[in-house]
Amino acid sequence: MANHDQTNGLLPVEVICVPWSLGLRPDAGGAEPGTWSAPRALCEAGLGRRLGAVAVTELPHPPYQAEAQPGTRVRNGVTLREHSLLLVDAVSDAIAGGRLPVVLGGDCSLLLGCLGGARRHHEIALVHIDGHPDFTHPGNHDFATLGAAAGMDLALATGRGELILTRWPGLDGPLVEDRHVVQLGDRTGQALPPGLLVIGIDEMLAMGMDAAARRAVEHLRATHPIWVHVDLDVLDAAILPSVDTPGTPGLTFEELTRLLSRLRQTGRILGVDVTIYNPHLDPDSAHPSPIVGCVAAGLQGELA
Amino acid sequence: MTSILSHAPDTRHAADLRLFGQFTGAWQTRVTYLRPDGSPARHITGEWEFSYALDGRAVVDVWRVPAGTIPCADTQREVGLCVRIWDPRLRLWRFTFHSTATTTVIHMYARQVGPDIVLERAEADRIERWVFHDLQPATFSWRNEISRNHGPWRTVQTVRAQRTAKT
Repeated sequence: MANHDQTNGLLPVEVICVPWSLGLRPDAGGAEPGTWSAPRALCEAGLGRRLGAVAVTELPHPPYQAEAQPGTRVRNGVTLREHSLLLVDAVSDAIAGGRLPVVLGGDCSLLLGCLGGARRHHEIALVHIDGHPDFTHPGNHDFATLGAAAGMDLALATGRGELILTRWPGLDGPLVEDRHVVQLGDRTGQALPPGLLVIGIDEMLAMGMDAAARRAVEHLRATHPIWVHVDLDVLDAAILPSVDTPGTPGLTFEELTRLLSRLRQTGRILGVDVTIYNPHLDPDSAHPSPIVGCVAAGLQGELA
Repeated sequence: MTSILSHAPDTRHAADLRLFGQFTGAWQTRVTYLRPDGSPARHITGEWEFSYALDGRAVVDVWRVPAGTIPCADTQREVGLCVRIWDPRLRLWRFTFHSTATTTVIHMYARQVGPDIVLERAEADRIERWVFHDLQPATFSWRNEISRNHGPWRTVQTVRAQRTAKT
């Protein structure tokens, strides 16, 4: 079992680039959304350098298929299964090598591969920072139209949904149990199962980032290392409009940095993923630099 | 053409292939179709024969209902072909069922779940699972369960199988 204890210093970072939009609906023109190109944009803006990354791993850009694949109502469900298993290997290798995987998406469906890789080493907890709970599953949604895995990742990770995206090698249950999950920043108000701790965006803004981080960590069993999922749509749309589903209210870059910093300072973080920035919606490339600054400062434990 | 069948699993993935490979041989089946209230509507005796195939990379099986020894009109006998391919990239079985009695082709995905083997497909209005359970060397059970439009799971068909020959 790999050691994740970082009380005596932060682990070196491995950046893992996941260039896919498999979990998103096609854009207005029927094509693949540009989210897949975010890893390159963020790396070119210096994220790896700012994090002092000791390794960068780039996964392939899989083919995007807008139409249904056989036997599944999840768009690109079969492709997502195949490429998630590649991500499982990459994340697992980083952890086995004593590095902190920082996974750059891409869309939120990459969470499955991240957790799968972490689960090869540990039972884990999850802090899911997202403007939406991503909890769509067959029990609460009509799949007459194809489902988008980026809106299902938390449901799938907790074992709700189709077999191809809920059953993983080496595990006989979900990637993470409800009681080991905290959802931060939801602005939809969707009811989630009672075992999950939900701190919605209004409550989060009212209590502040230090208190939100403290309450999240206190909820999660101390023996479990924590995976942190960051959907950048938790930022206010006025600050970062170039995401798949922008919304308001939301965090500022400084607030997200502070939240990540407080989480990293616990010494319990096993890995992090950052998703959903879409460079195609940012023609002036205005946002990579502040995203990089926010994420790098947060993961280095610097307080905003 | 005889090359479709194989005597053994592909050695590269033999352990995974034995999940369905354990069924190679011939089985007599008692198929029960259930009413919506779960009570049996009718029973049929059938046959089910499994073999490794495609250089040991797959398991194929023939589903015959009623059994060939039971007289019936040709149009009333289903002889279906199942192709079960172990996909090492997906770490899942890809499954198709090809009916000769209807135009039906079914795509599913399968893997072991606890002591059972679960095949699943999702359609616009349902999730359907075919579950092999109570697996023993000479017997097994199977059920087809469906959840329509987010509703509860309902078993619509069961099979009790008894081995008649092992290959």
